[in-house]
Amino acid sequence: MNEYVATLNGKKKTFKILDSGKLLYNEKEVEYSLLKVSEYSYLLKIGNKVYDITTTDLSQDKFGFLVDGHYFETVIRTKLQEKAQELQNIKNKENHHDLIKSPMPGMILKIKKQVGDKIEMGESVVILEAMKMENDLHAPSSGVVKEIFVKEGSSVEKDVVLLTIS
Amino acid sequence: MIKKILIVNRGEIAVRIIKACRELSITSAALYSEADKDSLHVRLADEAYFIGASPSSESYLNVPKIIALAKQINASAIHPGYGFLSENADFIQAVEEAGIIFIGPRSESVRLMGDKTSARKLMSTSNVPIVPGTTSPIASVEEGKKTALEIGYPILLKASAGGGGKGMRKVISESEFESSLSAAQNEARKAFGNPAVYIEKFIENPKHIEVQIIADHHGNYAHLFERDCSIQRRHQKVIEEAPSTFVDEELRKKLTTAAINAARACGYYNAGTIEFLVDKHKNFYFLEMNTRLQVEHPVTELITGLDLVKEQISIAEGKPLSFRQEDISIHGHAIECRVYAEDVDNNFVPSTGRIKLHRRPDGIGIRVDTGIDPFSNVSMFYDPLLTKVIAWGRTRQEAIERMKRALGEYKIAGVLTNIAACHWVLKQEQFTDGSFDINFVEEIFMPLIPDKWKAEQAQDYEDVVSILAVLLKSKMCEPLPSENKVQKTNKWTGQMYE
Repeated sequence: MNEYVATLNGKKKTFKILDSGKLLYNEKEVEYSLLKVSEYSYLLKIGNKVYDITTTDLSQDKFGFLVDGHYFETVIRTKLQEKAQELQNIKNKENHHDLIKSPMPGMILKIKKQVGDKIEMGESVVILEAMKMENDLHAPSSGVVKEIFVKEGSSVEKDVVLLTIS
Repeated sequence: MIKKILIVNRGEIAVRIIKACRELSITSAALYSEADKDSLHVRLADEAYFIGASPSSESYLNVPKIIALAKQINASAIHPGYGFLSENADFIQAVEEAGIIFIGPRSESVRLMGDKTSARKLMSTSNVPIVPGTTSPIASVEEGKKTALEIGYPILLKASAGGGGKGMRKVISESEFESSLSAAQNEARKAFGNPAVYIEKFIENPKHIEVQIIADHHGNYAHLFERDCSIQRRHQKVIEEAPSTFVDEELRKKLTTAAINAARACGYYNAGTIEFLVDKHKNFYFLEMNTRLQVEHPVTELITGLDLVKEQISIAEGKPLSFRQEDISIHGHAIECRVYAEDVDNNFVPSTGRIKLHRRPDGIGIRVDTGIDPFSNVSMFYDPLLTKVIAWGRTRQEAIERMKRALGEYKIAGVLTNIAACHWVLKQEQFTDGSFDINFVEEIFMPLIPDKWKAEQAQDYEDVVSILAVLLKSKMCEPLPSENKVQKTNKWTGQMYE
């Protein structure tokens, strides 16, 4: 349970936590010390350099980090979870099943497709109005619209499934 | 004399105006909607009044309520900021008729410049070059096609009542004309309640350069040089600077002269901005006039040393300009980055939430105009602009280096922002050598979304954030030890520095 896989900018890195203050990073030993300033702010010292990192917890396995004007999103899983995810990915590909969720609360301005319509990956499918702006929501995969769960004009919360593609 | 100003706005610009009021010993009165009750402008104002529910139409755009409130609290003047009611001629007229001073131009000037075709007509007869095209709305498809041929494709269809890119269509050839026209008219009708559309020549790869002007009630006009606002996405500016690297003394003279001609033509007073498109041969064309204070006014303040909001208030009191044109010169270089609450990699969707952590940049040459603080709520109801970071340097390069340093210092949690994207733009060759145009974001940056633009980032940052992610996931990090209580004994005694 002390082995992890981090995915960042499409690259994977492996970690193993040793005693406190030490870990293996891609098989290399790294010494660190960490201070939690608050839930959102950490000081991580590696060698003679202290990094002041701001973090936002994005979801269970996903963190956003702001450091020196650079922003990273990292997905972190235990080795076991990573394996399970890989299997899940293969299964998802086979089922060819996907969905569009609302990325933020807002109002559904327009739904450009009906159930049964063909849909191309990257195509704009739903327009969501939030903060006075119209936001295009794109199809994450190609296929056929399977189900639509919302109507034009309805308000939605964040992370609500709007439609599914099969 | 103005004793109390009602600020009909929110966010960073309300805060900016409150600061000017405080320095002038004028009472600042803020108003706020339901969603904004914990906002920074509410905390900072001398007085704060609840105005209505969260949607703008029930709060910051509710003209009858706002006028009634201004009367009830004995406000001597109203400052509209930018956006919301700032360019609404009917609102300004209502303020004038209520006997309250409007800190801005007269309603007639706003009305003249607000309708794009009437403004184009006025400019073409006032020695201000306009983009070749029509000065009245298209009456029929046939007439429109004929005009488009005369001007030469590609052309742009634009809404007469428009702004912000709504009702705008680029047409490359005649075969697309009819369908584009009806699409533009539909959009214009929906967005502005007016389907009128006119034709302009499409200018290839221009820069967006604008001139700040200021005028008093006594017929004195002055300009405060230009700003380059070419880094924009969907007509929303992101990075602005003054002066422009592209403008030489000869062009500056032509631009500023045209800007003052434009202001005189509509009998303008107070602060205003004339926007131009400038092509690569340094031909320039009137785009529109913004009859209000601009978001990007701080870059002009930093290179001229003026306080534009104070100047606006003094003009509204009937005083003459506090300076003469010849007293003002360009001092150094200033750049502004607009920090928006948005998820850049996810199609720039606005990011909402409560601000959990907020540490602003500081140090030499840095100014921060912000509307947020910890526990502010960033809601879906309003513009996602959080903060403007403005850097000044003796040279452009120094200003860029300072801005990169400042963006690196900015710590914010609770919402996602475009800080890293701004940081990236500042490092690109097209930005540092000044060759960028208004298509930079769409042509250079957007194709690199979501991951490619971050690929060139420093390897050691990738390593440390991955390590931190592992430690967070494994719950290896300990909270602050509770021994860190505030010390009340003066343990520094005897260790004072001379």
